[in-house]
Amino acid sequence: MNHPSHEQMTADLLRPLQRTSWRFYLLVAFLGSIVLMGLCTWAYQMYNGFGVSGINNPVYWAFYITNFVFWIGISHAGTLISAILRLVNAGWRRPVTRCAEVITAFALMIGAMFPIIHLGRPWLFFWLMPYPNQRLLWPNFRSPLVWDFFAISTYLTGSVLFLFLPMIPDFALIRDRAPKGLRRRIYGALALGWRGTTKQWHRLESAMQIMAVAIIPVAVSVHTIVSFDFSMAPVPMWHSTMFGPYFVAGAIFSGIAGLIIAMAALRRFLHLEAYLHPVHFENLGKLLLMMSLLWAYFVFAERLTTWFGNDTAEMNVFYVTQRGSFSPLYWTMVVCNFVVPFTILALKKLRTIGGCVIASFGVCVGMWLERFLIVVPSLSHKYLPYAWGHYRPRPVEIMITIATFAAMTLLYTLFSKFVPIIAIWELKAGDHPSPELSAAGQHEHRLGETHA
Amino acid sequence: MAVYALYDTGESAQRAVNALRTTGIADADIAVISSEPMEDYEFSAINHRTLIWYIASAGGFVGLAFATWLTRMTEVAWPLQTGNMPIVAWWPNLIVMFELTMLGGILSAVATLIVTGGLGRKVPELYDPDVTNGKILVGVEQPRDTAAVERALRSIPGGEFKTV
Amino acid sequence: MTHKWGMAVDLDRCTGCGACVTACHAENNIPTVGPEQAARGRAMHWIRVERYYEGEFPDVSVKFRPVMCQQCDAAPCEPVCPTYASHHTAEGLNAQVYNRCIGTRYCANACPYNVRYFDFFNPQWPRPLHLQFNPDVSVREVGVMEKCTFCVQRINAAEIAAKADKRELKDGELQPACAQSCPAKALVFGDLNDPESAVSRLSKSPRGAKLLEDLGTKPAVTYLSRQTQA
Repeated sequence: MNHPSHEQMTADLLRPLQRTSWRFYLLVAFLGSIVLMGLCTWAYQMYNGFGVSGINNPVYWAFYITNFVFWIGISHAGTLISAILRLVNAGWRRPVTRCAEVITAFALMIGAMFPIIHLGRPWLFFWLMPYPNQRLLWPNFRSPLVWDFFAISTYLTGSVLFLFLPMIPDFALIRDRAPKGLRRRIYGALALGWRGTTKQWHRLESAMQIMAVAIIPVAVSVHTIVSFDFSMAPVPMWHSTMFGPYFVAGAIFSGIAGLIIAMAALRRFLHLEAYLHPVHFENLGKLLLMMSLLWAYFVFAERLTTWFGNDTAEMNVFYVTQRGSFSPLYWTMVVCNFVVPFTILALKKLRTIGGCVIASFGVCVGMWLERFLIVVPSLSHKYLPYAWGHYRPRPVEIMITIATFAAMTLLYTLFSKFVPIIAIWELKAGDHPSPELSAAGQHEHRLGETHA
Repeated sequence: MAVYALYDTGESAQRAVNALRTTGIADADIAVISSEPMEDYEFSAINHRTLIWYIASAGGFVGLAFATWLTRMTEVAWPLQTGNMPIVAWWPNLIVMFELTMLGGILSAVATLIVTGGLGRKVPELYDPDVTNGKILVGVEQPRDTAAVERALRSIPGGEFKTV
Repeated sequence: MTHKWGMAVDLDRCTGCGACVTACHAENNIPTVGPEQAARGRAMHWIRVERYYEGEFPDVSVKFRPVMCQQCDAAPCEPVCPTYASHHTAEGLNAQVYNRCIGTRYCANACPYNVRYFDFFNPQWPRPLHLQFNPDVSVREVGVMEKCTFCVQRINAAEIAAKADKRELKDGELQPACAQSCPAKALVFGDLNDPESAVSRLSKSPRGAKLLEDLGTKPAVTYLSRQTQA
């Protein structure tokens, strides 16, 4: 594949901003209407009372918390690809970083809505913020939900900045190319007067390095803290010391799957075949395979320990998940998370773009089911058998769940219309590798090319 | 009044920078503007010294101190009874302290970038939109000896000379 | 001397009649949710009578166990509430402050006894039950958690009266609605800090055990097991 010239790169990557087809408007209208329906459903739930959902005693958390954990998990895509690959100077990250960081930012925003949606009195959610008030109402720092608040706020701030900073030079590019008018004024404001001096480039790269170093532990901590929502409660099969790493591995797993799907869609609809090569998907596919194995390892370790320990309450949950009423979901999850990805991604012939996308869809379904199967079976079968219950989702929960998938797609589509989805300057910078990297045996792989 | 030239390649830009240096202009006064960072050339090392790592670490410490104070102060502000787990619990406090440490580091890094990079200023500075077409701008913003600068810049072939 | 409120439930005496449940509803302004909502698991019985069948027909035996909030000393519901709505009192009660509750329902998940209830809708009482509210107890709005308080309104009233009279509370003077209405006197309430009180003596009974004791919640309720047939 010929390496496109810099002019060609700029033209290709700015084209979505300059040309809009009727298909875009149709997609936005369709997705927008679903999102609107979701918002109306939420308003309906707030007005009529939380009872319109399927929540009951004992299953007090279900769909909304599943979605919360799922979307926070998806948000780990950007961090892994962008920050880790940036720190290890992997050149093949260049076309991929912004796609990934966008997923993180939007998935976080959507995920962070769910703790509010699932509240009994959502209009009081701000009581989780520590602000001085005359009621001396400070939040309880011992509660994992308050840890969630701090972790997600930090991660969201960090991710949005991590996404925004490298957009500044691209905004400057659009500003300079735009004819005088509203577009130039808006992009000019967003570009913050960026010029591209050596000082600015150096500060930008340093700031990105610092943020990459900072955002990785934050990302790990975020999903660990989300897992603490479960492991801090004495609920059978929740109170596991392994939940932290298990959830982080699962988050990275679902995040990579989300990224592969997003990249494949962008490649197809924005005609980025020259920039997103099959080798990118191959590399991500190998990472997905590795995470699938890691996920399977964690599930095995967790379930073996539970089964061997033979605690009465835990075994009830264990069997109801594997053999009882939840077993169809359980075995679907195993197939979607392990069997299908392993088969497709382990065989080089099947590890094509299409194969990776199929595996990724499977993983998204499987990981959603996994979160559901962590939350609901344990709650429905706690310690006192008289208090056992069951759960069935109601239209309210299903509608809001669908609306969040539509919202993610909508936000992503709108973003790719207004901002180049591949960082133009980063792609061009790949042609100017730092002398330290050019030392023998350390060549950057540009756009997936292998060096002779 | 600024004097600059636009070059097509990194090599000519590097030669122009070297030429400017021979006329006695300090590195800090030489402006090299490009549409992407060009780390394979020596000129990208101009103005590279920065305190941003120290500032970010300091920001992290500020975040840590704030979080320690916030958690401890709010936990003892009201004589609240608790059963079993004490209200000032260090394990949970560590989590909040960690998050605010990282937030402090991130925000101070971004603030340093904005301040030292001169972002958000309204004062017009030396710039040419042709840079986005792949040209590299090499110039001096307020030269003392305009003629010498012009000579140095014109001595490298392939450059487009301009003054502002 | 500070009181520490506790309860003893004699399972040998409990007949499963459910008078305690009804009395609790009346005393604490707990709404009934209707048959449809109850079938969906939304019933809000702060004290409930659990019913377990043992054996196969025709040798079935039924066991009853009234379960209410165990007012644990090491309550798992307390550290997890983000707004301190669930907190401890100096007298050993686990208190629920309705005004601070934002309805995360984490406390209900953390409670191993499943004795915390959520207001799924604004409460409604079929007429004429709307005329018989207890003025000492607030009515909770939609979206907050509620649970057994050991009739803290009665505790407070009795303590205030005793203080006004400058005397100590006598054992048996103060009873929550469930203990008061139990025809078999299966529920005994009192001060665990008073070694002479009925509840203290019953708690030390060889028949006594705590519910889910191995979880380390340190409940304040002792269950006296049924005598089996000799």
